[in-house]
Amino acid sequence: MAEEQKQGQAAPAEAPRAEGGAPSHGGHGGGQGGHGGPRREGGREGGPRREGGPGGGPGGPRRGKRQYFRKKKVCKFCVEKMDLIDYKRADILSQFVQERGKILPRRMTGVCARHQRWLGVAIKRARNIALLPFAGSAAGSTAPKVVEAHKS
Amino acid sequence: MEERLYDLIFIARPATPEDEIKKVIHSIEHACTEKGGKIEKSEHWGTRKLAYRVAKHREGMYYYHQIRTTHGELIAELERRLHVQDSVIKYLTIRLDEDLKRQKKLSEKREKRAARRPRRPAATPAPAAAVPEPQAAAS
Repeated sequence: MAEEQKQGQAAPAEAPRAEGGAPSHGGHGGGQGGHGGPRREGGREGGPRREGGPGGGPGGPRRGKRQYFRKKKVCKFCVEKMDLIDYKRADILSQFVQERGKILPRRMTGVCARHQRWLGVAIKRARNIALLPFAGSAAGSTAPKVVEAHKS
Repeated sequence: MEERLYDLIFIARPATPEDEIKKVIHSIEHACTEKGGKIEKSEHWGTRKLAYRVAKHREGMYYYHQIRTTHGELIAELERRLHVQDSVIKYLTIRLDEDLKRQKKLSEKREKRAARRPRRPAATPAPAAAVPEPQAAAS
């Protein structure tokens, strides 16, 4: 977690190197990437050393020396062209909370700023009506199914 | 007055008899007709597991209604009614129309942009952004 924090500060604009595409397991998955960080810093001879510099992004000139592959994350809601995040879809929302019910940060999930904003609102609404937990296990959170419906 | 759309969800105790539920729903409908609201959708989601304990229950029966009204007092009245019902353990009303308006605006914008310039949408962001504004204001 500490490495991840550092990385987040070093290059805030980029998608993080944490786990690729498994947002529901928040706290873990950064392990591999975090491991690569310090080693890269120490083992370089010559060349630019400053890790925190603005050139340290994924598209930097030192791309060839990377020992790991950083997957570019894209916002899931942008890909699916969702203009509204429905608070009733607990199955979608639960992908963006940790097992203990915390909202996952953007740098873990790759959600864009706008959708993260809506997502936060939707999660909080879902919590209010007991579709998502405030704290504790979110296990078994599925989408509400319509048993009977009648339009009037 | 401007029309507004609301979501109304309430959770009933899992072992509530059906006629009791019917009474609650009927009272919602009655309040709606009285105050000039219209129930657009009415759904029963069945018994679901609650994400946390509510009134010592781990399960609850979810009922969902979508209400269109011009009178805000109707919502206050509905909440008051749900509050006094013993069989209702939780309820939530959410105003939807602003979100839906935003959704409409964005999807229109997206369609327009796709129609105008399918290959490089980033080249003309300013006019695309400017066009839907007056429409949204007018509606």
